[in-house]
Amino acid sequence: MATRVLIADDSEFMRNLLREILEGEFEIVGEAENGVEAVNMYEEHGPDLVMMDIVMPIRDGIEATTEILEENPGATVIMCTSVGQEEKMKAAIKAGAEGYITKPFQKPNVLDAIGSAV
Amino acid sequence: MRVDVRALGACNRLAERGAEQAAGALSDLTGTDLAVEVTGASVASGEDLAEAFAGRESIGVSVGLRGGLEGEAVLAFDAANVDALLSLLPGGASMERSAVTEVGNIALGGFLDGWANYLGKAIDMSPPRYFEADGAAVLPDGALAGDGVFLFESRLDATTTDLDFSIYMLPDSGPFRDLVVGKTAPAATAGAEAAAGGGDAAGGSTAVPYESLSTFASLAKRGSANAADNISMMTGLDTTVDVSRLRFVPLADVPAEVGVEPHAGTVFELQGEPSGYLAILFEEESAAAIAESMLPSEPDEPLGGMAENALCELGNVMTSGFIDGWANVLGTSITHSPPEFVHDIGSATISPLVAKLSRRQDYGFVIDAAIQTEGLQARCDVYALPDERELARALDRLSET
Repeated sequence: MATRVLIADDSEFMRNLLREILEGEFEIVGEAENGVEAVNMYEEHGPDLVMMDIVMPIRDGIEATTEILEENPGATVIMCTSVGQEEKMKAAIKAGAEGYITKPFQKPNVLDAIGSAV
Repeated sequence: MRVDVRALGACNRLAERGAEQAAGALSDLTGTDLAVEVTGASVASGEDLAEAFAGRESIGVSVGLRGGLEGEAVLAFDAANVDALLSLLPGGASMERSAVTEVGNIALGGFLDGWANYLGKAIDMSPPRYFEADGAAVLPDGALAGDGVFLFESRLDATTTDLDFSIYMLPDSGPFRDLVVGKTAPAATAGAEAAAGGGDAAGGSTAVPYESLSTFASLAKRGSANAADNISMMTGLDTTVDVSRLRFVPLADVPAEVGVEPHAGTVFELQGEPSGYLAILFEEESAAAIAESMLPSEPDEPLGGMAENALCELGNVMTSGFIDGWANVLGTSITHSPPEFVHDIGSATISPLVAKLSRRQDYGFVIDAAIQTEGLQARCDVYALPDERELARALDRLSET
């Protein structure tokens, strides 16, 4: 059974790019445009993995990750972000992210990160 | 506020590294190589910036910054290049705004990483905002307000396609401003001072009041206008000053900015306070046309002995026009050497001056002015490279008067 993935990114362009990379090998259960949608869609679909952007409107990816993990301690989240700052990454890991990939990413980076996390 | 020239150098290095990271991210995303052409900080009034950006139509992406840095950073490019950019992005053509916004997001994220890691503090970026802007409206909020601002600008050029980007950031508040004024004393600055012989003790303070710097930028502008008037007087051609800006740049970048096209003109050494160097350069064809307009008959060679004499004399008069205003306002005496005629590829004409000044400093205030002549397709670029410590001293005195 394919790993079920939720994509959370405010950029339609990035969501499309990630979908193109993942489709075929993974099942995309939904696409969220902000942190609130990500939390709601997680509750709705219960995916195996969330690919979570950090910088998003309404609620950012770190806050959304914290909220998802509070309710679902077994959730797996990978941060995918344009920001590679050490402090931001520490905050992401502290929030419970399994790993992160920095945009722009290529298919092998994404698959490696997922392979390590799931 | 007092701007520390050395701290400004450290900030410039961070901006340069950030720009390199942004170029790397953009290269990965678009599949085309991009290189950082130049990174510098310009001192300009809102009026100057409005003039410099007049007629440009840009597409930009801005992000708000909080935390380690506060303010706004903008990635912008020429609106005419949007199709070229979209064609490089997978699926880009079908989602113009989203694709462009993400390009800005990724590039600015890369740009800010270096700053955040250096500061040891996270920088929070707001979600990117796409915009289309005419003229200087592309610049971060606050750029056009007040008498003058520091505007950090990095230009990224694609090496194989006609695509270039600019990143703008204003040190208008909070931690960024503290960095520029040297309050947070970046380690890179301390290292640079030690290498240069030790800050205050050896060479005098390099902190100058921002207001004086702004005054100096105005003086530079006036100097450019004087130099343009002198061209008019000697050639009978009407002239206009297209751009005149005071910029703080790595000296090593200056030759590349002049470029590889053949240039002719004159270079001078300045003595007094500030000492330094001044170059008056024309593209080769412009130099020949200007010289011909000053001579009673067409010279045997376009840039032979007669033309050389004419350009030397023109350089003499322009240089005087340029520096007289400085000396008067700064209350110092500045003289200049006899003109040295130069005729070579652009970078080679100015490299010797940069090499001499680089013995004392890595960064410099470059006053660049572009003077256009009406009727003749001739353009003249003036580069003034003052000694940073002496300029700081003179500007500090200016603030006390």
